[in-house]
Order: sequence, then structure tokens, then C-alpha cells
Amino acid sequence: MMGVVKTVRRAALALGTLAAAAAIATPAAALETVSVRLKWVAQAQFAGVYVAKAKGFYEAEGLDVTINPGGPNLNAESLVASGSDSFAVGGGIESLMASRDKKLPIVGLGMMHQRTPYVFVTMNDSGIKTLKDFKGKKVTTFFTGAQHTLNAMLLKEGVNPADVTITAQAVSMTPFISKEVDVATVTLYNELNVLKARGITNVTVFAPDDYGISVPRDVLITSEKMIAEKPKAVQGFLNATLRGWKYAIQNQGEAVDIVMAAAPGLDKAHQTAMLAEAGRLTIADAGTTKGIAALDMDRLKGAHDLLLNAKVINAPVDFATAFAPQFWDAVPAADKKM
Amino acid sequence: MRSTFVPQIAALLGLLFLWEAVVLAFNVPAHVMPTASAVLQDIGTGAALIGRGVARTLLETLLGFAIGAMVGFAFGAAFAWSRALERVLFPLFILSQAIPVIAFGALVVMWLGNGIWSKVAIAAYLTAFPVTVNTCRGMRSVDPQRVALLRSFGAGDWRVFWSLQVPFALPSIMAALKLGISLGLIGAIVGEWFGDTVGLGILLLQAMYMENMPRLWAVILVCGVIGIALYALMEAIERRWVWWRPEL
Amino acid sequence: MMAGGAMPGRTIPQPVEAVPETAPPIVELANVSKTFGQGRQEVSALEHIRLAIGRGEFVTVVGPSGCGKSTLFNILAGLTEADPGASIRYGGQPRAAKELLGKVAFMPQRDLLLPWRRVVDNAILPLQVEGMSRAEALKRAAPMFPEFGLAGFEKHYPHQLSGGMRQRVALMRTFLFERDLTLLDEPFGALDALTRSLMQRWLLEVWQRHQRTILFITHDVDEAIFLGDRVVVMTARPGRIKLVLDVKLPRPRDAEIVTSPEFIQIKRQVLAAIEEESLKSFQQATGG
Repeated sequence: MMGVVKTVRRAALALGTLAAAAAIATPAAALETVSVRLKWVAQAQFAGVYVAKAKGFYEAEGLDVTINPGGPNLNAESLVASGSDSFAVGGGIESLMASRDKKLPIVGLGMMHQRTPYVFVTMNDSGIKTLKDFKGKKVTTFFTGAQHTLNAMLLKEGVNPADVTITAQAVSMTPFISKEVDVATVTLYNELNVLKARGITNVTVFAPDDYGISVPRDVLITSEKMIAEKPKAVQGFLNATLRGWKYAIQNQGEAVDIVMAAAPGLDKAHQTAMLAEAGRLTIADAGTTKGIAALDMDRLKGAHDLLLNAKVINAPVDFATAFAPQFWDAVPAADKKM
Repeated sequence: MRSTFVPQIAALLGLLFLWEAVVLAFNVPAHVMPTASAVLQDIGTGAALIGRGVARTLLETLLGFAIGAMVGFAFGAAFAWSRALERVLFPLFILSQAIPVIAFGALVVMWLGNGIWSKVAIAAYLTAFPVTVNTCRGMRSVDPQRVALLRSFGAGDWRVFWSLQVPFALPSIMAALKLGISLGLIGAIVGEWFGDTVGLGILLLQAMYMENMPRLWAVILVCGVIGIALYALMEAIERRWVWWRPEL
Repeated sequence: MMAGGAMPGRTIPQPVEAVPETAPPIVELANVSKTFGQGRQEVSALEHIRLAIGRGEFVTVVGPSGCGKSTLFNILAGLTEADPGASIRYGGQPRAAKELLGKVAFMPQRDLLLPWRRVVDNAILPLQVEGMSRAEALKRAAPMFPEFGLAGFEKHYPHQLSGGMRQRVALMRTFLFERDLTLLDEPFGALDALTRSLMQRWLLEVWQRHQRTILFITHDVDEAIFLGDRVVVMTARPGRIKLVLDVKLPRPRDAEIVTSPEFIQIKRQVLAAIEEESLKSFQQATGG
């Protein structure tokens, strides 16, 4: 029991010291205090944010940024909408559209992954060569949005999704590896690397973008309130975050070390592979032609229509209020152009 | 005292050997079930990291447990004291327990931020319920004849409460605390899933999503050992200070 | 026990007869009734009890089960209120029952020791309730352990004691709570016959040494006569006082007294009264 008392006392002391330190630091620096919520646990998928923080890019923009990692069952969109967090690396375009549909006052600032970051994979020896072969097969996918993408792809190839056995995918890739299912869904930056790490490379990939369907993901979001009240902070955050990403893509080894320092439990090889893939998704298409996190409105419109057809959203979403492209436009070219 | 742990340690070692033997004998692939030695080795190589996780999660657990125990005791005592209060508030307690803690996660993060206190809150929330129920039940079951005896000595409510009701309810409160400390540990781990970078819950998540099986089992093993240790601590406290059973 | 010790409460035994008949009674009950329940469920536990107990008296109450003895005790201990119209005078003052809380030393049938307290801490509980510090209460209690046959058991817990010892701890607790009136509700009911007779003689010694006023409930006619200055016989439901007998047996009394003609004479009277009552209630019950 004494140990507990001591620990508690030590914790209280530590808190006191922190509070004192904060009290001293705040007036001197006079930084705007904001926070960014990640949609998932700290990892290289969010390298740009960690680099911007570690390299002082945020501070240079007058911001004191707290990075709040996410986790399962934590909704970044609602945390931003409620004002708990100023910014977030949110879910995909589908999350932004669904949130706007539910009248959450969140606004998209930029799009990190220009292409659909997940693909459907099958073993080369499964006999599945085209989407048409999915008929009658067992397919698992993420029921957090990816199922709509899959349906749209199948319909485009003339396959009735009802003819395919589609079930929710568990965390583990083991059912796919042990061939209990024929097709599984993988993110390019995570599960595909897990497969590779297990020595599974003889797979056929069906990427939505190859079938004209794009669901860009990892939207940078903020709230309508932030835009109205602190537009300078919004601009500064976007500038620094994009600069952070550019640096991370150009200095991947250092960026992985920065992420690892923040979340020491991670596996370095895995994070290195993750950053490489996340970087590829970031500079794909408009990410290169226009710049990092560009809002490719045509592509976003296509995703919106898909979601409307799938009844994920009940009514068309007004893009003029759902996005605030003026901030991205104002980011200096040096920060966003590769 | 020390000698009483020998059979438990022997059982644990036996289990580890059996684990190792079965995995080797049936050639179970590592991603299904790693060998015990691989898991122990991972604990060795990740000792610093796991140690930090243990320290953090343990702090969350103990703070949450302490707060939850106090809150549970206060509510349990209030319910035992006033049936009206119990009728009004207790259904809310039951309702709150029927909602999975996951649903509260975002709220807790909104209210308490991403620091240690949101984890402490979830640990406290899980601890408080059994303590409330058992405190109330324990105090209600107080022997009315002993209450009458104390009253005949001229004892007031406060004296009856501290000298009779509390000690009378302690064995049943202790039973709730033994359950509560395990729930507190679960609460702390689940709490970390609402966003953090340190803690056993985070190590668990990282291992789970990256399918790092030795690490996953290492963390599970460590969680289990902590759970057993905390339970044993409560047992020791009970044996030392709350050894009696209410005589009716 | 050293004779002539300077300890308080250790003065030379005084014969009970020395109490003058004219001394004001400690407690005086008149028209005390108690009914429980309402309407058809109504049960009359006590009816028109009139009883006065003088200072230093040892009064025993016998009666069949359900004669309301315990209800009477609860009223005297302040735990139950009597029906309206009752008169309770305590120390010469009219009192409501609840005003007697803390004024009467009460020992229920069961020892009701607190299992988490050591013997010594059980004994001093009423002193602590009064607000006395533990140290002072311990000092007060210390000399009583040998007298109550508990020397060397101070640090034991109740579950380590025999039934007789537990009962003595409860008695010691009651005696440490020094009040003008001490109520003992069948304290020896659960003891075996041999222990019981030892305890009876011991109780008389303690009573005389400490000069307490005792009202003592029992089922046992021999016990009532052996201990009491007066025996009160109560009737079954509703509880009424059927008979009050003075016991003019000399004190100190020893075990052989139960075979003396005087004792047997009194016992015959008491038994006859009880018999009559039991028959009555038996006939009531069978509708005869």
C-alpha cells in the first residue's frame, strides 16, 4: 500500500511540475494551443504530423499542437465536431460525407491518400482471375465503408453482389492465409505488409482505382467553428502538416525514427514499409500534379455519387460547405509541391 | 507465507512447459501460437518497453481502482441509508452497466482529454459498480439486534455507521474489491484504446494489428501476471485485515 | 480478589434487605401496553403492566414463550415505544421510551459480540460510544477481566472463545456500562446446565459487589427464584403480570438452596400460576 501512496504522490508531484512548467512556458511563447486527433494509434501512417511537430514546423506557424492518437471505436469526426479536438486526420471521404449528412459541422481541408488505400487480394492459385470470378466465392472486407466500394466494383463488372458471399473481416489475416476465405481486403500500408512479412507474395490484387472507382481517404478535417474563429491557426496547421509530410516523404528513415520515438512499441521494419506505401498514396495523381493533400474535386464527386447510390448518405452533400479549399490553395507551393 | 506460493509457481512453470511442448510437437505455426520460449524471449527483448507499459497501466489501474472504490463505497452507503435514493438512482447504475464501456469512450475522451485521467475514469467506472452493490448489500444485511444494542448504549447514526455497518459490510466489500481490481485493470487497458502511445493496452493494439504474435502473447501473459498479482494483493489485505465473516 | 481493595465498585456486599422500602424506585411503570399490527392482524403483546423496581433490587421475570418479556425489555431499553397512555418514570422523571436510550444497560439474549473486535474492545464498546478514549476505557476495564474469568483472553477474538466465555464478555460489557438499571434477557439460556449454575452464582457475586439494579428475564423457574429478590410471573398473550412473589431466601445463596422447603414452596406457587396460564393459552389455541 505504501508503494501505491508513493506512486500517487509522485504522480501528483509530476502533474504539479508539468502545470508549473506550462504556466511558465505559455506567456513567453504565446503559441496558439490546438490539438490534432489521429484516426488510429500512432504509426507511420501519420508520419507527416509527427515530423511537423518534431521539426518545429507547427511552432514556426505559431501553433502548440498536441497530437492525440486514436484507437478502435474512437470517432475522430465527432471529436472535432464537438470541439474536443481542433483538427483530425479523419477517415475516408465516406466518413466526411456521412458526417456532413448527419449535420456534423466538420469541413475537409485536404486529402492525404489520393487513391483508395485498400485493395482486394486473392491467392494466385485460387482460380480467381477477374472480378467476375468472385461469384460464389467467400469474400471478407471491412464493414466500415469498404463494402460499398466492393459492391460498386462488382456492379460495374456486371456481377450481382448478392451472388458473392461477403462477410466482415476480422483483425487477423490468418483466415485468408489458411485459405478459409478466397478474397480478403488489405490496406496497402498495413495488411499487405503483414502478408509480405509472412512470406505471402503470390497474390493477385484488385485495386478499386483500376476499375474507375476511387475512395480517397485520410481527410484532414477541422470544424466550421475553427474556420470562423481561428482561420490563421487553420492555415498554419495545414501549412505545417503538409511541410511535415513533404519532409517525411523525402527523409523516410528520419521520419520513421521520429514516429518510433513517439510510440516506441512499434516495429521498425513494419513502419518503414508503411511510410513508403503511405508516401506513394500521398503523391499519387493529384498529389504530384497539384501537390500534397490536394482536393481532387472530380474524384471526390465520384466517390460522393457512389456513396449516394449505396445509401450511405441520404441526400447529396453540398461540397461548397463540406470543403474549404481556400486554405489548401493558400499553402505555399514549397510546402506542398514535391 | 512464502511457501504457499510454491504450488502456484510450479503450476505456472508446468503450464509453460506444456505450452512449449504442444507447440513444438504439433508444429503449430508461429502466427497461430508462438512457442512459450519465443514469448518469454520477446518479454526479454522488449523489457524496457513492456516495463514502461506496465508502470503506466498499473498507475492507471490503481488510481482508477482507488477512486472507483471510494465512489462505490459512498454510493453503496447512501443507498443502504436511503431506500428512496436507491429507488431513484440504482436503476441508472444498472442502465449504465448495460451500456458497453466502449460507447462511453469518446465521451470520456471529450470530457477528460487524452491524458491518464480518461483511463483512470474508465477503470474507476468499472470498479465502482460491484463495490456499490456489495457495500449496499453488506450494510443492509447488518444484524438489527446489534444495531439495537449499540442504540441502547446511546450510539447515534454516525457511530452505528462506522462501528457496526462498515465493519459488518467489509467482507462483502472486500469481495467486490477483489473483482473490482481486475475490472480496473481491464478498464485501464480498454481506456488506452481510446488513444495513447504508452501502456499495455497500446502494446496489445500494436501487436494485434501488426499480427506480431510473440508480442501479443507476451502482453497477454504480462496482463495475466499483473491481474494475478493484484488479486493476490487484495487477498493478502483481506487475510490480514478483513478476516472475519459476519455472524448473524 | 483481595478483600478491602481500594478499587471502586469493590465495596463490601450489602444485604438486599437493607434497601429501605420507602426509597424511591429507579423505574416505575404504569399502564404500559404494546400492540403490534393493525386491524385483524393486531396482536397485543403487553397489557397494563405496572411494575416498580427499587435501587439495588434483583427482579426476575418468568413466563411462557410469547408473554411479551422481550417487548417489555425493548421498551425499558428505549428501543420500542409503548402505546399512548403509558407512564414510564425513570429516576423519578416521566420519560418517553426513546429517552431511555443510553440510560439503561441492556444485554440481549445473544451475546452480540462484534467479531472484528478483540475481547477487550468488545467490552469497552459502550464506554467508547459514551465518548471515552480507548486508553481510558482500557484502564477502566483492566481490573474486571479476572473477576469475569477472562484474564489472559483480552486479546482473543470472540470466535476463539467458548459460549460461556462469550456470555461473560457480554456481561462485562453490560457491567462496564454503568447505569442505574441493568436489563438481562435470558443471558444463560444457551448454556449447558453445569455452566449455567456456575454462572448464576457468579452473577450474584458480581451483582452484590457492584451494587447494581437488575431486571432479569428467564424461562427457567429455578433460575428466577434462585437469583431474584422478587419473581414476576407474566401471562401469555396478551402479556400481563399475573403474580409478584417476594423471595425471602437469605443471601448469599448457594447451590443447595434449591432443595430447601422454602424454595420449593415458592416454586410450587410460581409453577401453579404458569400452569394455569399455559392451559389457558393451550385452550385458546385449540379452540376448546
